[in-house]
Amino acid sequence: MLSVDKVSLSFGGFQALRAVSLVAMPASITGIIGPNGSGKSTLLNVVAGVYVPDSGAVTLNGRPLAYGRPEQVAAAGIGRTFQVPRLAHRLTVFQNMMAGERDQAGEGVFNLFLRPAAVSSREAEIAGRAEAMLKRLGLAHKANDYAGSLSGGQQKLLTMGMLLMSDPAVLLLDEPAAGVNPVLIEQQAALLHELKAEGRIVMLIEHNMEMIANVCDRVFVLDAGELIAAGTPAEIRADERVVRSYLGMPA
Amino acid sequence: MLDFAIYCLTIIAVWSVLGLSLNIQFGLTGLVNFGQVLPFGLGAYAAALAAQAGLPWPAGAALGLVVAVAVSLMVLLPARRLSQDYWALITLGAGELFRLTALNAPSLGGADGLTVPRFADPHLALGAALALMAAAWLVSHRISHSPFGRLLKVLREDEVLAATLGRNPVSYQRTVSIIAWAMAAAGGVLYAHIVGYVSPSSFTVTETFIVWTALILGGPGNNLGVVVGAAAVQLLSVSSRFVASWIDLPADVLANGRLALFGLVLVLMFLFRPQGLVPEKKEVRDAQRR
Repeated sequence: MLSVDKVSLSFGGFQALRAVSLVAMPASITGIIGPNGSGKSTLLNVVAGVYVPDSGAVTLNGRPLAYGRPEQVAAAGIGRTFQVPRLAHRLTVFQNMMAGERDQAGEGVFNLFLRPAAVSSREAEIAGRAEAMLKRLGLAHKANDYAGSLSGGQQKLLTMGMLLMSDPAVLLLDEPAAGVNPVLIEQQAALLHELKAEGRIVMLIEHNMEMIANVCDRVFVLDAGELIAAGTPAEIRADERVVRSYLGMPA
Repeated sequence: MLDFAIYCLTIIAVWSVLGLSLNIQFGLTGLVNFGQVLPFGLGAYAAALAAQAGLPWPAGAALGLVVAVAVSLMVLLPARRLSQDYWALITLGAGELFRLTALNAPSLGGADGLTVPRFADPHLALGAALALMAAAWLVSHRISHSPFGRLLKVLREDEVLAATLGRNPVSYQRTVSIIAWAMAAAGGVLYAHIVGYVSPSSFTVTETFIVWTALILGGPGNNLGVVVGAAAVQLLSVSSRFVASWIDLPADVLANGRLALFGLVLVLMFLFRPQGLVPEKKEVRDAQRR
């Protein structure tokens, strides 16, 4: 269980998060919505270890996460994507996927020069998994293309695949559907349902309400750094405060 | 004439080692080291000091490597988590600090420098330089085509991505610096024994930029490109001397003209061929072959 407990954070005089609390259960998809500047990405960045909260706590299965140390949070099994996908553009799709695996014998210099056999057998094993992951994402035909040459939607799929190489317990996705064509959005939604079935905690920020309604079990609504509503997608759509602050008046 | 060719090859081999070292740092990892001459100078001075103390050359070599690695960690300490621009400034400053210290410390010979026993036989010097270049090449090659090198390229492209994938960028940058600075220091030890003396004027910022010119000209990220670049820059440098004597150019005009030429090469490469003469190869996976 991923739990955010009364997290507050301000930048100078600007209160970005005000005592935000929420929980996300394994095998569930949690949505976070709200107007621009409501603190969604800030919240994601606190959970991912980019920002250190002024107060409050973030725990995964009861264990506190390392604030301000994204690499340690990632190593604890929390994968995150970015609104604008981050990839090694001048490496191939396949190499990016390979780099997604955290546990690499060949990244230690001593192994590299003194235990070449162990390095290459581990490398072959990871390559097999990377190949399977590319097939699963429908990117196998792009394996040898530069990652920078993929479309925006394919780049988002690739970044998710890279995280999955290390089998994360939690996936934090920042606007996975933004700027992605409808066919790929459907593919993403199917993938999210699979990840949920595998028992992972999936949490996404999204403006695409159709995507939210299709995949989310529970939705939290932020406004001006404050949690103003929580519930199922249907309950959220009916909530008057949410309609006023974010969704807009029904026509 | 043959002696001259042997000297040229020896110098090209030494500068290739410096270039390969910079390539691991910049070409693979994206670390902008504007003080590449520092480990080179540390190696050379260590060789000289050991020789002055009457120690055999391996002692100087060992001292050079140890000092270069220690200093790389010291320079890295303040550079931790700083952006590339700061990296460039810190390394540039560290290189100058060393040169000015050598210039003003009597125990380091001051402006006159120190003498070092030379290789008795130029063939031996060439052999040693080629052997060191081969070793540097093998290390670079193994790193470039390994999981370690792959992650270094990820770091080069996007440090935040590397952290998101659960890797600590600083620890990889540290490892890279240790390897690359030790490599450059070994080049410095050899250089001292080839030219027979060390003085602060051999380790100026200019030297760093000559290595950069070789790397940018040859192709950052490609080991072969680095050697091609080092050869091109050194041959250009040597041949300019003949041109100068032919058209009766004064020595100071020649020296400055050579730098202007390197500057022009850099600008033209950045404008028209940033990938270098021998660009980094795409690592293609051949699924059919399996």
